Amino acid sequence: MTSTLKGITLKGSAELVAEFFSFGINSILYQRGIYPPETFTRVTHYDLSLLLTTDPKLKSYLTNVVSQLKEWLFECTVQKLVLVITCLETNEVLERWQFDIECDKSAKESSAPREKSIKTIQHEIRSVIRQITATVTFLPLLETPCAFDLLVYTDKDLVVPDKWEESGPQTIDQPEEVRLHSFTTSIHKVNSMVAYKKTESA
Amino acid sequence: MDLEDDTTILTTLKSFNSFISRPEHPQRLSEHSAGSGILQSQYKRSMELLEAAERVHSKNRYLQLDQEKKQMELSHKRARFELERAASDSARDLEHEVDRNQELLGQIKKLEERAEEVNKKLTEQKEANDALQKNLEGLNKTLEERDDKLGTANQTIRSLKDEIRELRQKIQNQDSKMSAQTLENQELQEKIDLQQRKYQEVSQLCQSLQAAQSSCSDHIIKIKELERRLVFQEQDFAIVKTVKSEVARVPDLEKELKRLRDDNAYLRLNTFLKENCSLLKEEVEGLRKKLERMEKTKEELINMELEKELHAWENLGQSTGLNIRKPEDLSREVIQIQQREIALKEQNYTLNSRVRSVERSQSELRAELTQQHSKTLEEQKKREAQDALVRRLQKRVLLLTKERDGMRAILESYDSELAPTEYSPQLSKRLREAEDILLKTQSHNAEMEAQLTKAQEETGTLKLQLQTVSEPALLNSVCACIFFLRQKIEDLERERQRLEEQNNILEMRLERHNLQGDYDPVKTRVLHLKMNPTAIAKQERQQEVEALRQEVTRLRDLVRSLQSGGAVGHSQDDTHNPSFSLSLAPSKEVLDLRKQMESSELRNQRLKEVFQRKIQEFRTVCYVLTGYQIDITTENQYRLTSVYAEHMDDSLLFKKGSNGSMQLMETEFSKTLGEMVALHLHHQKSIPAFLSAVTLDLFSRQTTV
Repeated sequence: MTSTLKGITLKGSAELVAEFFSFGINSILYQRGIYPPETFTRVTHYDLSLLLTTDPKLKSYLTNVVSQLKEWLFECTVQKLVLVITCLETNEVLERWQFDIECDKSAKESSAPREKSIKTIQHEIRSVIRQITATVTFLPLLETPCAFDLLVYTDKDLVVPDKWEESGPQTIDQPEEVRLHSFTTSIHKVNSMVAYKKTESA
Repeated sequence: MDLEDDTTILTTLKSFNSFISRPEHPQRLSEHSAGSGILQSQYKRSMELLEAAERVHSKNRYLQLDQEKKQMELSHKRARFELERAASDSARDLEHEVDRNQELLGQIKKLEERAEEVNKKLTEQKEANDALQKNLEGLNKTLEERDDKLGTANQTIRSLKDEIRELRQKIQNQDSKMSAQTLENQELQEKIDLQQRKYQEVSQLCQSLQAAQSSCSDHIIKIKELERRLVFQEQDFAIVKTVKSEVARVPDLEKELKRLRDDNAYLRLNTFLKENCSLLKEEVEGLRKKLERMEKTKEELINMELEKELHAWENLGQSTGLNIRKPEDLSREVIQIQQREIALKEQNYTLNSRVRSVERSQSELRAELTQQHSKTLEEQKKREAQDALVRRLQKRVLLLTKERDGMRAILESYDSELAPTEYSPQLSKRLREAEDILLKTQSHNAEMEAQLTKAQEETGTLKLQLQTVSEPALLNSVCACIFFLRQKIEDLERERQRLEEQNNILEMRLERHNLQGDYDPVKTRVLHLKMNPTAIAKQERQQEVEALRQEVTRLRDLVRSLQSGGAVGHSQDDTHNPSFSLSLAPSKEVLDLRKQMESSELRNQRLKEVFQRKIQEFRTVCYVLTGYQIDITTENQYRLTSVYAEHMDDSLLFKKGSNGSMQLMETEFSKTLGEMVALHLHHQKSIPAFLSAVTLDLFSRQTTV
């Protein structure tokens, strides 16, 4: 894997970013309580104790999305990944976790690996995941039963694969936005932010 | 040939015309001057000329006509040829056309036949069309009928749906009422239970109260006994105390007894009481004398000590060499000494302060000293360095002087060598080259200086030009240009800034929209998996909702069936599912209660009926046997009407007094029976006799009448 090599290749960068998304999405689902906490187990990664789901349906869905995302990252055709949390009763979008991906298109398969140590990348990823955990302090409680969806913003000329369909952007109207830290593997740069619906002050 | 003839004719005509025209002019001119003779000759000439002209004309015409004839003949021939050709052509064409005609005729026939056939077919098809149209009309009619039927059916369906809705609403209302009633039932039962529990508690409390009361009375008795015992005990206690005190005294008394007995014994044993006494007395006297002596010695000692002190004081005075005789002198001396001490202390303090200041100055001076030392050291170092420099410089000077001397020697040698006209060409070349270089550099220098001066002069002139007013036009134009350019620059700058601000705002907006999740549909596309958790959750929710609705409808049906079949009996309840036992249980109780109520009501009713019947029987029997119908009009008032009463209103009123005796009241009828009243009631004081008398009287009256 990329840990044994000295530099970051395009493939390695795509794998790192996809791995980050997998762990990030799991922690968001756990923190926001979309799935019951007893369905999560602890694993260690990035020198942090992270939670992964054990629900088989959810696992298969996430692996599908993440594997497709890895392909698209390798082709540099993906622009954003958005995790949308909707309330089931009112069909309103309550929270929107948006990850902007900037790909350096000059780095192709055959170009030389770039100099960036895995440690610094992991350190940056760690800070982002810690921030995600810390958002619990200011995000409003999700009292109603909610479900989540993963949206991917890609280039227009991309071939839509099987089982994927087009959807709307599912934005929140009049949201509160908070920008989180970003990290870069020198080929892919990921900016994170969370937008949530303002709670009606009684 | 014809043409030539024409041309000759034309030329002759022209010459003739010209000739004619010429003389006409002079003729006209000379009209007035010439007489008549000229006129006549002229007229003749003109006539001749005219005739000639006419001849010429006729010749011409003739020629022309000949030509024309010839042409005509030619043309005729040609025409004939052409006509013949045309005729042949037309004959051929005719033949062709005849053939064609025949063909066409044949075709026409065929077409006519076809047309006939087509017509036949047309007619047939028209007939078929008519038939089809009729069918269509029939079908349309049936369709319309069916539409009407459908419409009516729809209306019935709508009405039925409305009815269904109304029924559902009624069902809901009844359900709510039923639930409310069940709730009330439950509440009432709970209240009943509460009341029962309270009653039980109260009864228990009563029992406990009674028990407590009995125990209380027992306790009171016990307390009284105990109080009595206490009193006794206190008395005993007081007695015991006195006894104790006396008993406590007993050992002391015993001890005293013992001592006294011992003393007595001792005293009795010692027969030398008096001797002892006298001995003791002597001892006492001796001791007293000792005491006196001791006191005396004490006084002497005190005196001695005082004298010693005085001597010491006198010695002090002598030892110190001062004029001491009295303690006042001592005190004065002491004061003086103290004053000297104070002065000495002050001196000491001042000396100390001086010492400290001196020390401080000393330390400062030491610091200065060190500084000066360091400075001197530095200056020494500098001097040394400078000395070293000086030495080096001196050495260099020496070296240089030596070099110079050497060079001078070389030069002198060269000069000495140069003197015998031996110029080495290299040196000369070098010299020349050096000189050339020098010259060049000098010239270059001069040029540069000249350029510099020129440039300076130009700038000076330009400045002068700008400043001077002698050339206003150039200045103005230049100024105007400059001004115009500056304005342009400023405008462009302003626009640029505005555009930059707009750009910034738009970029901000774009970024904000990007943050919020907007995207450019031309470049990007939003994708998600079809089977995503939100869609799955929504589907599950819908399914749950539908399942719940179905359950609700099923339960409602069950409830309705239960309500309708619940009042019948328990046997039907057993046939239902045991899972509904909970819902049946309260209805069972309700049914039991209802049955109880009904049975009690029935009983009440029956009892009422029975009582009524019995009362009725009894009254009739009374009426028949006694002959009076007794009615209760108001409280304690009884109205009696006889069997043999002549009028319906004839009645006797009796009132029940407070002591239980019956009194007759005044009525119309009673006034007529005054005698009997007086006899039976006043004298005999018997109401039954009065009543029987009245009946007998009435009976007699009846029978006679």
